[in-house]
Amino acid sequence: MTERLAYLWPELSLFIATCVVMVLGLSPSRETRRLCAWVSAIGLLVAAGLAVNAPVDSEALLPNLMPFAKLLIAMVGLVLLMLLAGTVDRDYEAEIASGRTVFHALRSNRAEFYSFFLFSLTGLMLTASAESLIWLFLALELTSLPTYIMVTISTRGTQSQEAGVKYFFLGALGAAFFLYGFALIYGGTGATHFADIAAVIAADGMNPILTLGMIIGLIGVSFKIAAVPMHFYTPDVYQGAAAPVSAMLAFVPKAAGFIAIIVLCALMGWRYGPGGESLPEAVRLLLWISAALTMTVGNTLALRQRSVKRILAYSSIAHSGYMLVGVVAGPGSDPARFTTNGIAAVLFYLLCYGFMNVGAFAVLAALRRPDGTEADDIDDIRGLCHTQPVLGWSMVLCALSLLGMPPLLGFIGKFGLFTSAISAGEIVLVVILGLNSAIAAAYYLRLVVTPYLERPAERDAMAVQRVAIPSRAIVAVVSACSVVVLVLAAQFLVTRSAIAGRVIETKPPVRAQTQP
Amino acid sequence: MLDTGHMLLTLASDAPAGAAPWWVMLIPALPMVGVVLCTLFAIMGVKSKLPAFATVGCLGLACVLAFAMLLGSDDAPGVVKAWQWFDISWGEGHGQTFSAIFGFYIDRLTILWMLFVTGLATLIGLYASEYMSHDQGQGYCRFFMAFNLFVFSMSCLVMGANMLMLYLGWEGVGLCSYLLIGYFYKKPSAVAAGKKAFIVNRIGDLGLALGVYLTFVHFGTIEYAELFASDQLQGYLTDAAHGHFEHIPAAAQMIPLLLMVGAFGKSAQLPLYVWLPDAMEGPTPVSALIHAATMVTAGVYLVARAYPLFQVSEYALPAVAWIGALTAFLAATIGMAQFDIKRIMAYSTVSQLGYMFAGLGVMTSIGAAAHVFTHAFFKALLFLCCGAVMHGFAGQLDLRKLSGVAKMKGWGIVGITMLIGCLNLVGFPVITSGYWSKDMILAEAFVRPSTGLVGWLLLITAGLTAYYTFRVFFRVFVGPVEYHPGEELHAHDDHAAGHGHSHDHGHAGYDHSHSPEPAHDSAHDEAHGHFHPHAPGWAINTVLVILAALTFVAIPLVALNHGGWVGEMVHGSTAHYEAAHAGGGSHGSVWLVGLDPHQVMYYISAVVGLAGIAVAWALHYRGRREAAHAPAAEAFKRVAGPLQRWAEHKWYVDELYDFLFRNPLWVLSQVFRYIDMLLVDGLVNTAGWLPSALGGRLRRGQHGLLQGYAGSMAGGLALFVVVVLLLVSRSA
Repeated sequence: MTERLAYLWPELSLFIATCVVMVLGLSPSRETRRLCAWVSAIGLLVAAGLAVNAPVDSEALLPNLMPFAKLLIAMVGLVLLMLLAGTVDRDYEAEIASGRTVFHALRSNRAEFYSFFLFSLTGLMLTASAESLIWLFLALELTSLPTYIMVTISTRGTQSQEAGVKYFFLGALGAAFFLYGFALIYGGTGATHFADIAAVIAADGMNPILTLGMIIGLIGVSFKIAAVPMHFYTPDVYQGAAAPVSAMLAFVPKAAGFIAIIVLCALMGWRYGPGGESLPEAVRLLLWISAALTMTVGNTLALRQRSVKRILAYSSIAHSGYMLVGVVAGPGSDPARFTTNGIAAVLFYLLCYGFMNVGAFAVLAALRRPDGTEADDIDDIRGLCHTQPVLGWSMVLCALSLLGMPPLLGFIGKFGLFTSAISAGEIVLVVILGLNSAIAAAYYLRLVVTPYLERPAERDAMAVQRVAIPSRAIVAVVSACSVVVLVLAAQFLVTRSAIAGRVIETKPPVRAQTQP
Repeated sequence: MLDTGHMLLTLASDAPAGAAPWWVMLIPALPMVGVVLCTLFAIMGVKSKLPAFATVGCLGLACVLAFAMLLGSDDAPGVVKAWQWFDISWGEGHGQTFSAIFGFYIDRLTILWMLFVTGLATLIGLYASEYMSHDQGQGYCRFFMAFNLFVFSMSCLVMGANMLMLYLGWEGVGLCSYLLIGYFYKKPSAVAAGKKAFIVNRIGDLGLALGVYLTFVHFGTIEYAELFASDQLQGYLTDAAHGHFEHIPAAAQMIPLLLMVGAFGKSAQLPLYVWLPDAMEGPTPVSALIHAATMVTAGVYLVARAYPLFQVSEYALPAVAWIGALTAFLAATIGMAQFDIKRIMAYSTVSQLGYMFAGLGVMTSIGAAAHVFTHAFFKALLFLCCGAVMHGFAGQLDLRKLSGVAKMKGWGIVGITMLIGCLNLVGFPVITSGYWSKDMILAEAFVRPSTGLVGWLLLITAGLTAYYTFRVFFRVFVGPVEYHPGEELHAHDDHAAGHGHSHDHGHAGYDHSHSPEPAHDSAHDEAHGHFHPHAPGWAINTVLVILAALTFVAIPLVALNHGGWVGEMVHGSTAHYEAAHAGGGSHGSVWLVGLDPHQVMYYISAVVGLAGIAVAWALHYRGRREAAHAPAAEAFKRVAGPLQRWAEHKWYVDELYDFLFRNPLWVLSQVFRYIDMLLVDGLVNTAGWLPSALGGRLRRGQHGLLQGYAGSMAGGLALFVVVVLLLVSRSA
């Protein structure tokens, strides 16, 4: 067990930072409390540095996943941290500064907010390090549990409390599903360690209990990625939470969910199906239907929304559908080649999605209405390119990238999904993906046209203003720049993802005789 | 001629491409620095000539590096890689790995082009510092930013190590051309001209893009170093040299035809030449640099660079020769009947580009390159002289309204340099560089029996060129002193085409030019009182003198044996393939009126040129008492009848294109618009209505919120399990 520790230094660094932050946030000194964000950033930076040098786990099914995933998590985490800074306790701190009230630890949320954020990221990293079903379950829950609280405390309104409660109960239900699934997998194979499960499956093939366990487990994990049929909570929760927290919800649980799904599928391998070229038929079918439905439902429901947050929430659902296509495609015959490796495409897409999605939410987070509420309605961003050019253009770039417009980052991500699915022979799914990309254009282009082509509303009283937290605008700009600039480094990133997406499938699968 | 095919295999580019020194990357980098600086100046609100001097500094340094590149060059081409640009593979087979570097391919052709591109850009940048001075501020920064961006793009185009870099530069120069033609963006005619240039170029670019795709698909690479050394291409060339064109796949033979379309678009050849005359709406330094000296020679460069590819097709080079000759002739006839001196120069550019293509087509790439080289200097000189006139006479460009300019005070230098430019364009015997470069093309055109009448067409064109060139000179620069200033009160803009526009339009572009210089005031007074021509200052005069001197310097560089120094430069590049053909049995075997064409052409073209000048003198100088009326010319016009009018209306080509393409396309676009409105929008709206209806139902089920969601999730799970298991059992 201790040798496993060698892989967990990034998590440990985050955990230490978490503990420090939890204490610092309760300090009566305002200066000390302010250190929370900085300590979190240092923790993330150290974790990133440790992740770069993380050893390769040659025993695991995806031996190169950890360094890539953890570095990605730390990097997006840093951007998210900048965005989250100043979300909670802002008014409270202002009151304390003005002397109207004194600091009381019970009323302060700062410590919880930052430390739960770091906890969630720790859980996410642990998901990537998981080596057994129990570990995977605990890591997934560690990722999600803090987010329930973060949603609840993100604003002072009842809306976010409602969203938090909803999110918590449904999340618990989802967790129950996949825990049930994991239990069935254990029942079907008699093992909890991934290596043992994979060995059993390789030796004996699938059996009905195992198949059922995989189906329920995968559907349960779908809650994390907001895939059909577990997507219902998404728009309500995203809209209820403060925009920075919504941005986090769109990335952190999604990344955890995809890593878990990839790992679960890797247990069976993509050389299984009837012709020895795909996942076991039942699992492939499940993911296939889920991918097709998820993107269609997400895109069509986004069409008529007026709330930008809800649009982004449905878009988040749709993007999960896109990424599931990569999972269905699998790593292909030569994992080193990005264009045929669907797993690499998913990992790369997570990176793309992380930046462009955070950018879009950051624009919303950086704006507020005159009455102090968050900008959310599509009217709020009307003519933004003219009133707040920097934020407006960030929104335009991020929306175009989400749409997959060449030559932005989103295009390269989608390109990998398309080519891998084509090379895996999933032509129908590719057609559905293409149609969905076209449907998605309808609402993404609204996010482009409204800030850029339309004129701002005449009534100045209703015009949105920039919030007094400069880090949010910076995040918007950084994300918008990265969807452009990272394209130049695409070759490098794509190569890294292809390495990370290498799945060990050395053991030839036994032909399965599945009786469902 | 064909029995010398084996010589084809001894090619300069057969030598493995070596490494070029790293610092050649600075040549494109420096103009990019200029772009950044000018952008910063614009942001900082600089209102001085700083952007101009930053530009001249950057470009001058690039020019020095281009010279260093010349001194440091050896015979073998060199490649320098900045970074790997693309590396994508989607299969194992031929043409399934696409890789392209961001890097530069340096051979002598590159160096030759870069020398005059950077040199002229520096000089014209200096000229523009004075010419554009009325616009100091945002506009000035914008101008020089685009100017630098142009030089950057042109460097990518010329120095690029593969066709993708060439394409990048190609689009870049097209963009800059668009930006600079439309520099006076509040003037409708300038905007229309910019649009026209861009759209016509897009047609050519489509050809180029397809050519590049096809090259990649067929040869599996677009890197010059690999492409020209590939066994496949060498095999084709051997076949071609032996006349076995039937052994060469049709796809390979298509490539040059497609590339040709791109070249014809950028270099304004038939049928895509229509944009260049309109491009004169841009400021004159732009016309001189981009639309006369450098960018429009990109097509010539493309053909010269891809010369080996052009030889694998039986029809490509003859087609190039024919198109070139026809363009040369047609543009010259139009130029004869125009009155706007800048437009005459534009048609002359089209015509001279036709010469260059004809030269390439008749396989004297040395002659073509030499003509590009000399033309760059003398045409830039001519444009800058016209620009000086325009700058000084409030935008007046009509040759009927100016006369005897050279005799006015302060205009001597312009007059003399204009004369030198005109003599070069005409090809005045012996003492002008234009004579030597043009003769090489003319002589070779008669040597090639395969292209028939091309030689005669070019010879007639030479006579017409002499006539229209000196028509301008005799009307505007000599004769009785008389002038009518243009409409442009601020005495410094390209307003010739703005006559018909309302006062508002005519001046809307200069809202931001408010610096109250004395010249402005005096020019302004003209509206009510007296107009003083605004003689050129030191920057303009210096540049004119340097350029005039350079046209003489170019004589020994092109005149000596076989194209002199320029010949040597072309010799060591991919454009040298023709030497194998031309150097064989063809020389001396073809006779023109009983003499070797190379010898006799020196005399014939001299006589033709002088005859053209004599006609111009007789019609436009002798007996002319005022600017607007030349009695002899008007008598001639009556004889010419409708021909003259048709030529003045540019043979109605624009109207023909409108009728053939623009109107049908407009009708088609209307049809599609209705289809889009009725069918596509209908579908989209339905698609939008469907989910909202669906969503409405779903939302109604969701009023119970938590319970509803949880129920849906559990139900969904159950449904999925059942469906999946059913489907699997069905298929099992």
